[in-house]
Amino acid sequence: MGIVVTGVGKEIGDPPTRILSDIAFRIDDGEFVALTGRSGSGKSTLLYILSSLDRASSGLVHIDGFDVNHTKAETLSHFRNQHMGFVFQFHYLIAELTAFENVLFPARKTGAERTQSAYAEALLGRFGLGDKMQRLPRQLSGGEQQRVAIARALVMKPKYLFADEPTGSLDSVSGEQVMDIIRDCNTQLGTTVIMVTHDPDFARQARRQIHLADGKIVSAA
Amino acid sequence: MIFLALRYLVARRRQTLLTLLGIFFGTVAFISISGIMLGFREYIVGQLVSNSAHVHIRAREEFLLDHTLDQAFFGQQFMHVFWDPAPSGRKDSAMVANPQSWYRRLAADFRVAAYTPQLTASVIFSNGKATAPAVLIGCDPLQQRQVTTIGDYVIEGSFANLAAGGNRLAVGDDLKKKLGVRLFQNVLVSLANGQPAPFKVVAIFKTGVQVADSQAYGALGDVQRVNRTPNQVNEIAVKLHDYTQALGLAKAWSALGSETVESWDQINANIFNIFKIQDAIRFLSVGAVMVVAGFGIYNVLTMTVMQKRKDVAILRSMGYSAKDIVLLFFVQGLILGLSGATLGLLFGYALGLYLETIPFSGGPLGSGTGHMLISRNADIYIQAAFLAIASASIASILPALSAGRLTPIEIIRAGAE
Ligand SMILES: Nc1ncnc2c1ncn2[C@@H]1O[C@H](COP(=O)(O)OP(=O)(O)OP(=O)(O)O)[C@@H](O)[C@H]1O
Ligand SMILES: [Mg+2]
Repeated sequence: MGIVVTGVGKEIGDPPTRILSDIAFRIDDGEFVALTGRSGSGKSTLLYILSSLDRASSGLVHIDGFDVNHTKAETLSHFRNQHMGFVFQFHYLIAELTAFENVLFPARKTGAERTQSAYAEALLGRFGLGDKMQRLPRQLSGGEQQRVAIARALVMKPKYLFADEPTGSLDSVSGEQVMDIIRDCNTQLGTTVIMVTHDPDFARQARRQIHLADGKIVSAA
Repeated sequence: MIFLALRYLVARRRQTLLTLLGIFFGTVAFISISGIMLGFREYIVGQLVSNSAHVHIRAREEFLLDHTLDQAFFGQQFMHVFWDPAPSGRKDSAMVANPQSWYRRLAADFRVAAYTPQLTASVIFSNGKATAPAVLIGCDPLQQRQVTTIGDYVIEGSFANLAAGGNRLAVGDDLKKKLGVRLFQNVLVSLANGQPAPFKVVAIFKTGVQVADSQAYGALGDVQRVNRTPNQVNEIAVKLHDYTQALGLAKAWSALGSETVESWDQINANIFNIFKIQDAIRFLSVGAVMVVAGFGIYNVLTMTVMQKRKDVAILRSMGYSAKDIVLLFFVQGLILGLSGATLGLLFGYALGLYLETIPFSGGPLGSGTGHMLISRNADIYIQAAFLAIASASIASILPALSAGRLTPIEIIRAGAE
């Protein structure tokens, strides 16, 4: 099924500024795609449109066959909960919850925290945080926090993982660790990964790169 | 969402406690103010209901208007009559027209607990050189004891002794002092222009209410004789089984005869008006406290929404809906309201128990219980809880809705900058 975009444009603000124009491509299930481009080229904007968090001003976005523009907000929320994971540059952990509770929080929406708790523990263990599960975010390093955030994105075994510069605020060692996890996620779990990155090395790890400049696709290798 | 809402509240303990205190004090204030006001009110109403008759049937006093007499004098002869001077004054029939029919009606009515005919006469009492004008009430002594609680206030002698007839008196404590009379002594009773008749004091009562204690009671027949109005009564006092039916019955009965029929609450309408003013003051003052408490919650929640924008974004991205976000913040306000109200209810109840132990000999109500009267009417607690929860909900719904309107994408963009 995958994600199919056709003729997507995005304008923002008043007076309208064009951020994206004529975006068209398709991402198949199981792909690992890197969105690259200079700062301000529209990578984040495109990522959020692909993930239904934002809406295109024109054009069509189909996720798993349904048209995002004609789907109820509740249905999209449910789909995000069940099938999408997000990782941001800033980890956005909830400060009042422990690492473990943060990871398990998506499961609470449907009351599935019991059934998912073993998996949450396994994820944290696999990411080298087995002994730090009960810590609050502020008791963790930046890299550790980002790994918790990735575990949270994966806890529902999503079909899609969206990452916006997941290594952006990390040093190179932590960045490598996070990239390893994301790559493993794609190869071992078959998760479709769409990742925005500045780093050409990290971009090369993806099987496919979509390069943006001034809101247009300049190369889709 | 309640899970996270609780975590938020616990994380900012001090703020939570402070906002909770606002609701708490509002609730406690409402419960204690209402308790005191309603306690006093229940006491007064209790006194009114138990001490005196529930329905009074009296001769109607009619006032003459300019054209009341047209018909009687001229029939249909003229379109308009010019009087010079116009008639004025009172059409006096101080007596109940047909008491027998009232007795039959009252005796047959299952809602009536007891009734007594009464003849009230203004007389002069004298004991040697001491004289005192006072009201002498003629009644059926055995019935009177059931219609009113006068029998309970007898401090010497026995009210039932009046029933034996033969010019016997029960005098109030104040009147007794004025006359300097003792139990079983004789006093003279006379109308302003009549022959004095000797009466024997067989009971002395003290209600603590000055007006009542300056009166005297006698058997109906004796008073009719002294007043030279044999077989006449000017009032029938009725006690009902259920005092709340008084108003309805009074209205129904006044349609039946030419007498004025009034219920206890109609007669004491002025007291009930004061109650209404009290209620207004009570709700306004507590309303003010609740508004302040509500603003506290509003401020704290608005701030929390600002601080937790990133949490909103992340929650929305993991699939929580706008509704869930509204709930997350609304629940915080509701928890503050509920817990403040619960603590307030408990503390208010305890405070009431303490206030009740304070000695308080209530001024004119000298016969009171000697300590403060606190109402524990369930309505007070229900209203207090309602006020607290309503103000907390109203205060939290606005910030909660504004949180629900936040779009994740704007927050994420703002956060990345
Ligand atoms: N609210 C806004 N109003 C107007 N223009 C905006 C707004 N938000 C973003 N833009 C513009 O849209 C363009 C694309 O932004 P976007 O965040 O997608 O870029 P990006 O490629 O992710 O950049 P970066 O690598 O720095 O994160 C930028 O030129 C930015 O200035
Ligand atoms: Mg970006």
